[in-house]
Amino acid sequence: MTITELKTTIAQLKQSCLDDDSDIQTKKVSFLGKKGKFNLLAKNITKLSPKDRKKGGQLLNQLKTELEELVENSSLPKTTTWVDLSIPGKKPTVGHTHPISQAISQISHIFEKIGFTRVRYPEVDWDWYVFESLNMPKDHPARDEWETFFVDAPSHKDMGKLVLTTHTSNGQVREMERLKGKPPIRMINIARCYRRQQDATHTQMFHQFEGLVVDKGINIGHLKGTLDHFAKEFYGPGTKSRIRPFHFQFTEPSFEVDFSCHICSGTGKLGKNKCRFCKSGWHEVGGAGMVHPNVLKAGGIDPNEYTGFAFGWGVERTYSLKDDLNIDDIRLIYSNKASFLEQF
Amino acid sequence: MNILIPHNWLLEHLQTEAKPSDIQRELSLSGPSVERMIEDGSQIIYDIEVTTNRVDSMSVRGIAREAAVILNQAGFKSKLLPLSINQLDTKEILPLPKITNQPELSQRVTCVVLKDVQRTPTPNWMGERLRQTEMNVHDAAIDITNYVTHELGHPCHAFDYDKLMATGGEIRVEEAKKGESFTTLDGESFVTVGGEVVFKNGKGKIIDLPSIKGTQNTSIDNRTKNVLLLLESIRADKVRFASMTHAIRTTAAQLMEKHVDPHLAEVVLKRGVELYQDLCQAELASPIFDEFHHPEPPLPAIVPLATFETYLGIKLTSEKITKILTMLECEVQIDQNQANIVVQPPTFRPDLKIPADIVEEVARIYGYHNLPSQLMPTAIPTTYPTNTDFNLEEKVKTFLSLVNWQEVYTYSLVSQELATESGLAAGRHLKLQNPLTEDRVYLRRSLFPSLKEAISQNPLKSRYSVFEMANTYIPQNNELPKEELKLGLASTQSAQNVRGVIESLLDHLFVDGYNFLVNKDKTSSQIYAISRGENNKYKLGTLVTKSGYCFAELNWKNILMVANSHPKYQAPSSTPSTVEELTFTISISQPVGPILETIKNVSPLISKVLFNNQYKQNISLSTIYHDPTKTLSALDIKPIRQKLVKKVELAHDAKLIGKV
Repeated sequence: MTITELKTTIAQLKQSCLDDDSDIQTKKVSFLGKKGKFNLLAKNITKLSPKDRKKGGQLLNQLKTELEELVENSSLPKTTTWVDLSIPGKKPTVGHTHPISQAISQISHIFEKIGFTRVRYPEVDWDWYVFESLNMPKDHPARDEWETFFVDAPSHKDMGKLVLTTHTSNGQVREMERLKGKPPIRMINIARCYRRQQDATHTQMFHQFEGLVVDKGINIGHLKGTLDHFAKEFYGPGTKSRIRPFHFQFTEPSFEVDFSCHICSGTGKLGKNKCRFCKSGWHEVGGAGMVHPNVLKAGGIDPNEYTGFAFGWGVERTYSLKDDLNIDDIRLIYSNKASFLEQF
Repeated sequence: MNILIPHNWLLEHLQTEAKPSDIQRELSLSGPSVERMIEDGSQIIYDIEVTTNRVDSMSVRGIAREAAVILNQAGFKSKLLPLSINQLDTKEILPLPKITNQPELSQRVTCVVLKDVQRTPTPNWMGERLRQTEMNVHDAAIDITNYVTHELGHPCHAFDYDKLMATGGEIRVEEAKKGESFTTLDGESFVTVGGEVVFKNGKGKIIDLPSIKGTQNTSIDNRTKNVLLLLESIRADKVRFASMTHAIRTTAAQLMEKHVDPHLAEVVLKRGVELYQDLCQAELASPIFDEFHHPEPPLPAIVPLATFETYLGIKLTSEKITKILTMLECEVQIDQNQANIVVQPPTFRPDLKIPADIVEEVARIYGYHNLPSQLMPTAIPTTYPTNTDFNLEEKVKTFLSLVNWQEVYTYSLVSQELATESGLAAGRHLKLQNPLTEDRVYLRRSLFPSLKEAISQNPLKSRYSVFEMANTYIPQNNELPKEELKLGLASTQSAQNVRGVIESLLDHLFVDGYNFLVNKDKTSSQIYAISRGENNKYKLGTLVTKSGYCFAELNWKNILMVANSHPKYQAPSSTPSTVEELTFTISISQPVGPILETIKNVSPLISKVLFNNQYKQNISLSTIYHDPTKTLSALDIKPIRQKLVKKVELAHDAKLIGKV
């Protein structure tokens, strides 16, 4: 045997010790025992030429230390103590983020992926930002005291009354102002809103998210592209979106946005029956439209140079249309009932 | 606003090869949304949502007109059938009442007298349609007005001619003063608030609430023989005002508050007369009175042809655009250099004013579903708002939820009781001018009362902890209120646990240094922290214990100032630390915090002092000694220990258990 052959055999032995999954006791016997693999190899030292024996001895000593370490780090012998794995796990007690926070988080991330910037604007704002700058005529029903909460405070001479925002659209002109009237704008504004109504599908306080995109050459196709992106990301692949004519003062054209029903796969039918979760295969989610030229002007943007689209939907409704989330009474969301919140 | 349209009735105005399901689909995609198709025996009734700007579609004929255009474009041959109404053969048998109108209150008043109206039952065909559209069936003389309104879209009212003439035979269109009373035809009495447009007789008595509801003193009853059929066009905002003020939400009011085209009045009046003649054998007994102050015709919209491509993202030919607009009854011209299209909309479309309105008409009829779908190829903005960090908000919420705190969303609007529970008088809160319910009147200035309420709503939960991130609202003079985003934490756990969670949260946010300064009242403490870099001290908020609750309210703006994205890293020390446990007996009211501070300040070799636990008056502490340059020996530590015990005993009236 040459010293090179010895080195190769040592390397092989080390590797076989590393690969051996046996427990510590078994490995101790098989590698370091009296008739173990180390001793068997050590006997070969006599086969080395006398001048190589010293070097061979050193290599074998080093190997022994290494093997001892490897064996020491092997797994402990298997015990025979019985553990009852049929007992349910002991869960750490955790709380829950609110379903609205979970929805907002998902919505934000979906839009941030395609370059939207999330912003926050006042919840109590001037009439100017909530209505006037959004092309709402003074006698528009949304501006009267039956639908909007007004704060009992003096009006501002230029900005008008102090109102609780009825939608997140007050962020539109504010965002144009923040960017000093210089597009590109891709905004997502998510906030608490307030309307003077209360029943199973309305609470006095709710949440909206508002998208606003303004740049040169923005068209209806870009709105459709953005809606399709959201539909697929939020409700899952295969979900389709569509826009239909609608009317809002601050967009022209205006649209109603629908997403295909994932329960009946957009067919409107479950077996032979009508799908009771949607209207003919579609869910109405909210409004959208191309930004009205007057709104761009109010935000200091030239409507002859730029176009844009906007959309604003209720977080509660958008979220509750998800698979298996048929929350039929929206008031539960703000009931603080642990039995409700702990499911999320 | 929804309208029910029976398919058979629609077919009296629309000739089409489309099936009901085609009508539902195509109308929804390009016009008013057909939300449901109701099956009534063998008949179909469409439940259609009409947007508030399209009151011209709020009738059977209005829907037929839209459907004809949309269905043709979708490839279903369709046609709006002409209205066949005979010319009226008027005679002067009975005098018309004297009508004094104010054009600024009513653009048009038109009426005619019908004599010897027979009180015949409503014929079956009409009764069925009224029932299908959820209207009550009375007798023909009453039902004709509802029927015509639904069919053609302009409300009309039948007065009892003889009652009207008995009150003086005069109609004055006026604004009511405050405090005038009237009783509607169903017997309900009201008192005016002032400003409602009403009809009065010569003596100033209210004899009708026009465009909303008739009054008992002039409306048809069982004895009515002669009828005055009248249509008026009261100012839309005045209609809404009176209707909302008195909560009289009739179909008439809901139509007229949306600017019904006054031109429609003539055909509706004629159709009404025709039905009174046919069904009630009435005789036309007067000429037609018609005071019509024609509105200024709307200016034509001039639309650069390029605008269509800008909005649609595809190019449509000018022929295609012209064809669509012409089908919608617009007059269309293309200017000489082929750059602009000039569009004059019909009188029933006052909503078409600016180029974008015209683009919308073309786009919807062309079909939004026929436009491409693609994401914007434009630049992504990178100017982000300052003073917000939504990711950090999410991080805080996730952290708290994972250490067993429940997030809640409570109302920003609170009752007077909850408002004052914040410690501030109700008057120092923003108050709503028109609250809907008594429990939502004030904009809150503290989250605590709401969070406390949230806990108490879950009585079965022992040691419940909730948190919320929400605004508080501080009134400002002539300015917007200051909205301060707060992180509120409320718990029935011990103050030590709550403080521990806050400390742990601040560690999680890599806040370098923070401390809790106990207030003199001993029931609250202020939380401070230092910002990295500039080394400024920020007050983060307050921790309060109160009637079994522990509550903290942290100011998010200041948390943003002290939070960091990463820790201040220190290499692990190569020398070991020594830990020693000491137990002191302290006096009953002695706080532990200052003792820990005293020990920490004894020597720079004391790296940390930990509070282990307390049993009655005995407190157990761990002192950690560490020298980064060498391993400390027992001899090194002994003098420090002696010094700290002496200091604690002297400064805090404590006694060490055991020997130094």
